[in-house]
Amino acid sequence: MKEFKPLPDLPAPISTTGPIGWLKNNLFSSALNILASILILAALIATLPGMIDWLFISANWSGTTQADCVKDGACWVFIRAWSQQIFYGSYPDSELWRVNLCLILLTGVIALSFTLPARIRNQISVPAFLVLPFVCVLFLDGSYIGLKQVTTNLWGGFSLNILLAAASIIIAFPFGFLWALGRRSDMPFARSVSVTCIEFFRGTPILALFFMGSVMLPLFFPAEVSVDKLLRVWIILILFMSAYMAEVFRSGFQAIPSGQYEAADSLGLGYWQKTLLIIFPQVIKVSMPNILATFVMVFKNTVFLLVIAVPEMLQVIMTALSNSNWLGGHAIEGYLFVGFIFWICCFSMSLLATSIEKKLDTSHKN
Amino acid sequence: MFSKKTAEQLKFETRPNRVGAKYFYNNPKYRGWIYQTILLLFLAGFFYSIVSNTLANMSAQGIKSGFSFLDSSAGFDVLMSLLPFQTTDSYSKIFLIGILNTILVSVIGIIFSTILGFIFGIAYFSRNWLIKKIAVIYVEIFRNIPVILQVIFWYSVFNTLPIARESINLGDAIYLNVTGLYLPKLVGESGSGFVYSAIVVAIVCVFMLKRWAKNRQALTGAQFPLGWASLGLLTCLPLLALLLSGMPFHFDYPALKGFNFKGGITVIPELISLAVALSVYTGAFIAEAVRAGIQSVPQGQTEAARSIGLKESKIMSLIIVPQAMRVITPMLNSEYQSLVKNTTIATAIGYPELFTVFAGSALNQVGQAVEIMFMTLAIYFVINMFISFVMNHFNKRSELSSR
Repeated sequence: MKEFKPLPDLPAPISTTGPIGWLKNNLFSSALNILASILILAALIATLPGMIDWLFISANWSGTTQADCVKDGACWVFIRAWSQQIFYGSYPDSELWRVNLCLILLTGVIALSFTLPARIRNQISVPAFLVLPFVCVLFLDGSYIGLKQVTTNLWGGFSLNILLAAASIIIAFPFGFLWALGRRSDMPFARSVSVTCIEFFRGTPILALFFMGSVMLPLFFPAEVSVDKLLRVWIILILFMSAYMAEVFRSGFQAIPSGQYEAADSLGLGYWQKTLLIIFPQVIKVSMPNILATFVMVFKNTVFLLVIAVPEMLQVIMTALSNSNWLGGHAIEGYLFVGFIFWICCFSMSLLATSIEKKLDTSHKN
Repeated sequence: MFSKKTAEQLKFETRPNRVGAKYFYNNPKYRGWIYQTILLLFLAGFFYSIVSNTLANMSAQGIKSGFSFLDSSAGFDVLMSLLPFQTTDSYSKIFLIGILNTILVSVIGIIFSTILGFIFGIAYFSRNWLIKKIAVIYVEIFRNIPVILQVIFWYSVFNTLPIARESINLGDAIYLNVTGLYLPKLVGESGSGFVYSAIVVAIVCVFMLKRWAKNRQALTGAQFPLGWASLGLLTCLPLLALLLSGMPFHFDYPALKGFNFKGGITVIPELISLAVALSVYTGAFIAEAVRAGIQSVPQGQTEAARSIGLKESKIMSLIIVPQAMRVITPMLNSEYQSLVKNTTIATAIGYPELFTVFAGSALNQVGQAVEIMFMTLAIYFVINMFISFVMNHFNKRSELSSR
């Protein structure tokens, strides 16, 4: 008996596979799509080469002064010459290691919280996070631990943006958690106080808050106490972030199944044991994407500080632009650079948030 | 019959008081009161010290209190005003001008950000690879750059435009140069009221037509070409009125006189930069909201719509978007509110909105920080409450159809 042998499969038609098929499906699938693709391609061809040329090819990369910017393209020498101020502000040269140390500590604590085994993660990383801002302040200021004092008007640049945002959101954690607990508590007075705080700080423009910090907060303290400007900014940022974190935690609380509360009750745990040991770890886990989004928001908001003349990154660029050695329009380069740096940071954080969200999402939609 | 209390509250109330507890503070009910008393005492002390410190500091610095400063003359000029303004006008006038400018830029921002957001949010689902990628790139770039940097960037781009004599000229009617955008202004002569009333009548007719067509479709199933009919009504009626009344309109064209343009409508560069930055920034967030909303509609809805024979173009507008609006509207609400709050970045480029002229210039001169900040913040709260009210109304309407 003859064995049945199927004919070998024919390859798919050339027009449906490979680059041609891809082009046909994704760019030229209908008359309207063909028109749109051609228009977009034409616009790209018209603009992209010029932009790439200005940004990279005929840009000026090496040199130290404005005179080195001889070619038509972007003058990246400007960024290069001011790079130390852009990153560290006016922090003295010999003391820069302190800023670096703070940034390393911050990275270290974050890395620690990801790598520690789950059994001891919260017990170690929560205190480490909470202590970190104060350690950083001690090191950056220096006068309390026997180093040369560096007054806060010298702190600045991109490191200030990072450290201020991180220090604010860390301290805002416990406050936000308390406000969120207050908002869902049974005590009427505590609840209304929490709701008022949350709604006030969420409803007020952050710039108005910064402004209040610089014109109104000094009035609130006794005349003989003078509160440092950066400290006032920090207080304002903490209150602002606490309100947003409270809302993040509130949605986290709502995501915890009520069985968890009931199980904790039936074990005989008290309120704080239940909240801190059972609910809090789960809230942190489900709120992680929102916490990251909130951090991105506060990080972007630190740029608003230029309005009250705190020397954060953009403020440094604007000071550099008005420097008499660099007059003559490097504004576009400066702003593009700041935008690029912020974009890198915020975009990577939002990617991280999305990936965590995907990992947590175990539902079967669609 | 059913209590509106949450399960937590019910549980709390029905839980037996721990009569057997050793001390009274082991009873959660009493303990709650103790906590709240401590909180009340703390807050009372806090506010007492703040108020007394503030009063002492203000009297020491010679700052007056009260709202009498509102009637005194401001003595500074504002860059742009929707009302006639002189430097001798009072601070209350400045306050009003600031509010109007804030509302103007908010309305422009809300309109354009919504348009941008919906275009790019829907473009994300395009079958054209290039369009889809452009939507993604737009959202990811503009959402991740601080809005204040964007407004400063657009403002500095505006500064690279040519001077007045070399303005960019569009048909001898629209001019664009470094000092702003100049548009022709439509001026109504006597008899123009007839045309305006024709427009109002046309709008009323469209609404009545819409109700009639909806009723007819519900009764008979017959569809009425509503779009074309209302387009015809909206163009023909005013046009007819225009012809009958003998064209009572003329354009006031901007013209170069001396160093700059006179006549027409002048849009200052600050307003344009701020409106562009706010629309583009908020538009990126709205696009993300629209995308999330559309994705939240189950795939089965599209398949069901196809299986009953709806056209592809009708599936989006009749099936997907109305359902997606339930997810989109609450997000739009918060985006609009944050847009209004973000108008305060105008202070970085000097557009004279409420925060810049009142909490900035006026505060600098008067020094009464408490009163001025209170008035300024109150306005932002009122505007945001209004937005929230309107959006909740929309939300209710889109929710009604849900199960």
